[in-house]
Amino acid sequence: MLQGEGLSLLEVCHLTVSLRTREGEIRPVSDVSFTIGKGEVVGLVGESGSGKSLTGLSLLALFPPGAKVLSGHILFEGMDLLAQEDSVLRKIRGQRISMIFQEPQSALNPVLTVGTQMRELFKSHTDLSASRVRECVADRLRSAGLPDPERVSRSYPHQLSGGMRQRVMIAMAIALDPHLVIADEPTTALDPTVALQILNLLSSIRESRTKGLLFISHDLSHVRRISDRVLVMYAGRIVEESPSRRFFGTGPLHPYSRALLASRPEGTGRTRKDAPLPAIPGQVPPLWNLPAGCAFAPRCGRADERCRNESPPWQSEGEAGALCFYPDMTPLGAPFHVA
Amino acid sequence: MSPEAPSLLEVRGLVREFDLPGRGLFGPRRFLTAVSDVSFAIRRGEILGLVGESGSGKTTIGRMVMRLLDPTRGEVFFDGLDLTSLKGRKLRQQRRRFQMVFQDPYASLNPRMSVGEIVGEPLLIHDLVNSPSERRERVVRLFDRVGLSSHDLDRYPREFSGGGRQRVGIARAIACSPDLLVADEPIASLDLSIGAQIINLFASLNQTERMSLLFISHDLSVVRYLSDRVVVLYRGWAIESGPTPEVLTAPAHPYTRLLVGQDPGIPAELLNGESETPGLCPFLSRCPDALPVCREAAPDRFGNAGGGREVVCHLAASQDSWMPSSSSPSIQGIA
Repeated sequence: MLQGEGLSLLEVCHLTVSLRTREGEIRPVSDVSFTIGKGEVVGLVGESGSGKSLTGLSLLALFPPGAKVLSGHILFEGMDLLAQEDSVLRKIRGQRISMIFQEPQSALNPVLTVGTQMRELFKSHTDLSASRVRECVADRLRSAGLPDPERVSRSYPHQLSGGMRQRVMIAMAIALDPHLVIADEPTTALDPTVALQILNLLSSIRESRTKGLLFISHDLSHVRRISDRVLVMYAGRIVEESPSRRFFGTGPLHPYSRALLASRPEGTGRTRKDAPLPAIPGQVPPLWNLPAGCAFAPRCGRADERCRNESPPWQSEGEAGALCFYPDMTPLGAPFHVA
Repeated sequence: MSPEAPSLLEVRGLVREFDLPGRGLFGPRRFLTAVSDVSFAIRRGEILGLVGESGSGKTTIGRMVMRLLDPTRGEVFFDGLDLTSLKGRKLRQQRRRFQMVFQDPYASLNPRMSVGEIVGEPLLIHDLVNSPSERRERVVRLFDRVGLSSHDLDRYPREFSGGGRQRVGIARAIACSPDLLVADEPIASLDLSIGAQIINLFASLNQTERMSLLFISHDLSVVRYLSDRVVVLYRGWAIESGPTPEVLTAPAHPYTRLLVGQDPGIPAELLNGESETPGLCPFLSRCPDALPVCREAAPDRFGNAGGGREVVCHLAASQDSWMPSSSSPSIQGIA
């Protein structure tokens, strides 16, 4: 948590969620704890199947069929979300916590105009007059960087480009002035130059100083651009937490985070003629067949017998911490630059 | 690579138009120009990166090189042969020499065949083996080459992860020892920690088997790492090309500068609906450095003094380091 920010906005404590699948019961979210402070942007990094999307959905108390919360709680502004009635949760969702999805084309209703969908939001959560609602819709679209809100309002989602649709999603997400915004891979489906504009727009959320943003992504360069703090998930667990400056500067503590950074050619100036990329051997273990001990041990260069047999402890180093027996404290040779 | 090495693949003035729906019975033909007069060459043993955003025409170019799609105009020469005019058996004979690795390793493998059959099929089709046992032996060697175990031969695609499937796709593509591989976004759908493994595999195939590679990607840092030369596409135009380090460290075209500097510039999606003027530079509406002349005429192609680089931009006309390119016609008259 950022120092001097006072109360944290969100506190997730030892959350474990199980999911029934064909392969048996798995735990895509396992003993997950983290906080988000007011005015803070937290990046959540992980590969597919690491549990990062389900973690994001949990914050809205939205769970897919077959999912069960085994333990833990989620405190949002002091309120335990998992203990609330559905009627209370419906009020919170959209109004105080909102979500931006990866694919706006599937998150937006294709048969309603953008304006209708946005007015719906205000109608169900507020009692503003129709003319006031119209003003609000135009205002939110404009602040999401859409200069011609009238035209966008009249458009159906398919008439807009991918970047514009994502801006509409953001306009809807910030419409009711929520305190927490969860963005799940909001830049993944976009072209590189458009993705950067969306990142700039998202980082303006933090400027209000009252809002928090959880930015879920697998793109380290995007996480670096936007986040104050980085969380790394692997096989359902948070394996590292670190201030961005430290993570991308001195370097992460967990061997997995280090290996991820190293496997990208960004900013190193190397080419194939210099050396092969330091790839991580093997693959992510399936959640129904996790190894004993540390889940990353079979792919880890630092692992020994202990890592393969015992669950690693959480070890802190200043503001950073990692779920590892042997966190890597050596500073990175060259600072990681985004190409 | 020495510049004198002969070209393995040469693409000249490639154009591809797609018909748009909405034409009345006697109405004018409506079409979209996905690729506008694109020319480039790949030398033997060279890796060429083709970068651009979605809709820039990079996949369409890859498919035309593979003869999976016929160009509207232009020619594709492969090892001196005009591929665009080859048909039937003659084309099939050549096919084993250029192969493709697809973006989606889930959709591009037949789910009802074992991976051993998938990788062995090209050997059968091109009649490169004499007996089933020889085929199996070759497949085992191919599996080994791409980092798969021979225990996996009888398994099915669904039993593999994305990275494993992409290895199967690569093994199939290299089964007939092609001279050229066309890889269309081969790591875009793979997990973060798997991408580097596949990149290394391409680098090693290029190094040891001397395979040339047309590497299509939007991932600039991977292209920078892997490719010798790069072609930057924007809305179907090859706006800049040259040796990768030079183009990416000292880009000449404003769009390349935007890509490399990661300066967001003018929001692209805000220009949606504002149609570009046919015949004028496609980047005009987003260009921070546009000159009056950019609104009047299509930009010419310029080459650099040292050779090897090309840019299609009016800005180059006033710079001493660039001179009008004589090797090929300008981009005029594409629409």
